[in-house]
Amino acid sequence: MASYIFRRLLIAVPLVFGVLTLTFFIIRLAPGDPAAFFIQPGISPNVAEQIRQQYGLNDPLPVQYIKWLGNVLHGDFGRSFSRAQQPVFDVISEALPVTMTIAILTLIANFVFGIIIGVISAVRQNSFLDRFLTVTALFFYSMPEFWFALMMIILFALKLPLFPVSGLNEVGAESYGPFGFFMDRIWHLALPVTVLSINGAAGIARYVRGSMLEVIRQDYVRTARAKGLSERVVILKHALRNALLPVVTLMGSSLPFIFSGALFIEVIFAFPGMGRVTVEAIFARDYPLIIANTFVSGTLIVLGNLLSDVLYAVVDPRIKL
Amino acid sequence: MKSNNTASPFSFLLVLVAALLFSGCSRQKGGEQLSGSARDTTLVIAMLGDADYLNPVLASSVTSGNITGLIYPSLLQAEFDTSTGLLNYLALEKSLRPVSDKGGRSPKGALARTWTMSPDHRSITYILRSDARWEDGKPVVAGDFKFAYRLYGNPVIASPRQQYLAELVGADKGAVDFDRAIETPNDTTLVFHFYKPVPEHLALFHTSLTPVPEHVWKSVRPDQFRESKLNMQPVGSGPYRLVTWNRQQDVTLSSNPSCVLPKPGNIRRIMFRIVPDYTVRLTQLQTGGVDVVENVKPEDFTSIQRGNQNVELRTVGLRVFDYVGWSNIDHDYYNQTKKFRPHPLFGSSVVRQALTHAIDREAIIDGYLGKYGTICNTDISPSLKWAYDDTIKPLTYDPALAAKLLEQEGWLPGPDGIRQKNGRRFSFTLYTNAGNDRRNYACTVIQQNLRELGIECKIEMQESNVFFENLQSRKLDAWMAGWSIGLEIDPMDVWGSDLEKSRFNFTGYRNPRIEQLSELAKTKMRPEEARPYWVEYQQILHRDQPVTFLYWITETHGFSKRIQGALLNISGTFYNIDDWKLKPSANAVP
Repeated sequence: MASYIFRRLLIAVPLVFGVLTLTFFIIRLAPGDPAAFFIQPGISPNVAEQIRQQYGLNDPLPVQYIKWLGNVLHGDFGRSFSRAQQPVFDVISEALPVTMTIAILTLIANFVFGIIIGVISAVRQNSFLDRFLTVTALFFYSMPEFWFALMMIILFALKLPLFPVSGLNEVGAESYGPFGFFMDRIWHLALPVTVLSINGAAGIARYVRGSMLEVIRQDYVRTARAKGLSERVVILKHALRNALLPVVTLMGSSLPFIFSGALFIEVIFAFPGMGRVTVEAIFARDYPLIIANTFVSGTLIVLGNLLSDVLYAVVDPRIKL
Repeated sequence: MKSNNTASPFSFLLVLVAALLFSGCSRQKGGEQLSGSARDTTLVIAMLGDADYLNPVLASSVTSGNITGLIYPSLLQAEFDTSTGLLNYLALEKSLRPVSDKGGRSPKGALARTWTMSPDHRSITYILRSDARWEDGKPVVAGDFKFAYRLYGNPVIASPRQQYLAELVGADKGAVDFDRAIETPNDTTLVFHFYKPVPEHLALFHTSLTPVPEHVWKSVRPDQFRESKLNMQPVGSGPYRLVTWNRQQDVTLSSNPSCVLPKPGNIRRIMFRIVPDYTVRLTQLQTGGVDVVENVKPEDFTSIQRGNQNVELRTVGLRVFDYVGWSNIDHDYYNQTKKFRPHPLFGSSVVRQALTHAIDREAIIDGYLGKYGTICNTDISPSLKWAYDDTIKPLTYDPALAAKLLEQEGWLPGPDGIRQKNGRRFSFTLYTNAGNDRRNYACTVIQQNLRELGIECKIEMQESNVFFENLQSRKLDAWMAGWSIGLEIDPMDVWGSDLEKSRFNFTGYRNPRIEQLSELAKTKMRPEEARPYWVEYQQILHRDQPVTFLYWITETHGFSKRIQGALLNISGTFYNIDDWKLKPSANAVP
């Protein structure tokens, strides 16, 4: 398996690199100008020109590419245009923990709720409970996240002031002490994680239900029942474990999706995470930051896919890598 | 045994999440701890975007401007007189005009004690106070100004404020000669020299750029200036100082106890909280999470006032207007040959008058802005009372007259109901930037109005960057956009005849008299004396209709009622923020 992983990682390098090269040219050929902000009445016409000079945007495109290539091969992705010339990886290292927190909490909630709902609806197939859960899940699954988030805010922060509207912490939370700070942070994350995970859990529940229904009809489940095992043990130990095989692989591939989903959540709940960095970088035509973000998310997608393949082999002994 | 296998990665995850949840916990570096009722002594202002540089030489975002204004000292205090629309400049012992009681600015906020303009208007000498100190205890001296001006003028630093240096000695020859342009004979004397006579108010405006402490910055090389960490650790001497800056989250300032310009800020802490989503900003205003939200849209006024009794709406204006731009010249022909010929549709001023008569501006205002909109005739704001010509009668909505004017110009109804002239249909695309509800609404009304007159108007929304680039490269025949006007009138960027120099003359309107008037106005040493020129300017624009001016917008800001003493005017929402007070909440411990 180690050599398989090594080979996959080796292939990933030119893949990610190709993506970066494409991004490099696409963003530069797309309309828009990183110095456009400085073209306005009252600002000297020289400023935009001086800024372009500083960013090296006056060179011909192939020259820019070669310079960029040289820098990237030295591990230098440059400095952000729009964020006060911070090195782009500083920007990302500030934003990534926020997004990771949301993503991991969401991932856990997704799978816990998804599996519970999926198992219940499979075991009680065609009952009222199953229909109810199915319809509800479908209802949330088809709802646009940004709208759902705004509705949740209006409902649970404005009409019923139970949760904060936005932000990571309350004003002055630094003085609450570590435990108070922690609880305050959890309290602020409750709404966004709920929004993200309701949507995701609904999808996972559908998968679990489908694969559970398949497994429940297998011979070995009947055998387990015939042995006189309790229904609980049959479902949770014999059926669920096998039913989860296809679901586990979802874990790896859903990571990038949670990142892109977090984008709306971050803008709406005012979290300084990766999604916001990406959107703002695109609107500001902040080339180095866009490329660095593409690098991070591209790498995540490649690793996520690799992870799901490896997980598949781990949970299913029949598969050899 | 199996369960142990699954437990270890899971507990690893838990540890990771816990570590991440605490991130940011230890960032507090201000030293002073907040009491439980932090909210009672903290003013929270919601901002759309983060600050960029907390350095007056580089600051370009709105948030940065607001913050550096509170942290750094200023040479003079600028006061906006709402009764005349003129800016007044105050030093400790002198002011440009008599100080109005409504101005609300303390002359003690100025670093300058007094100034003298030389009789030939080619130099200005400031005498500075000697009691002002930077946060680190070093005195603020004349050398700090000279040092800062060198930074503002350095092309490598590319300051967005280098235009302020345009009259200094040497600027006419390409580069300011700082050794001759700015003299500092001693620590409290500062002299600026100009290459030409400059009106006093303009000299005051252009020499009042914010200083930075030389002793802090002098070791930073110009090519590393923008990257310097010092941009995040400002050393100022204003009423507030920086406590923390959590990027993309919040910037917290606290009252600077050692400030003498004019005094430490009244409110103990001011927090600028970054909330990018408009709906969420409004919700936070209603839940009391923030105290100020700028630019509330008219459609939300009723729900805000009904939703929370502790929120009030404050209005300022008029500084912002929308217009429909018509290309006066044939852009394609100009782009190819750099020569001029009238635009086939909009080249005639009679056609443009007809278009203005055809557009029901009142209906747009009634339908969207309500009482927060005012018909706009030209780009001189009614708020600049000293220059505004109130005798101009707006072109009324009159489809019959519009049709008559069009027919007089040869635009006759064609077989498909669209007017034609020499085989050319009157059909065009109106472009605007996507995501602006107000312009979206106005565009649809205009489309409807024009269709009734036999003109086909298609609408296309473009992403802002793309729209702006197309506008600059003269690819659009008709568009809707807006301007926010400066408080000093200088229209040459928009109406200058040399299209290579006047970068914002998107219409290609060229009128030598407009240029002349603007030059004549600049020669007057007192702005009021230029009024006749500006009156004629407005009449010409009104007659020629180079664009259809739509409406002035009264900007509306949401304020928590616990804020007391806030004066707002078009020079800024946070005009006198260091004088604001917070009414303590009922449960506050005295």
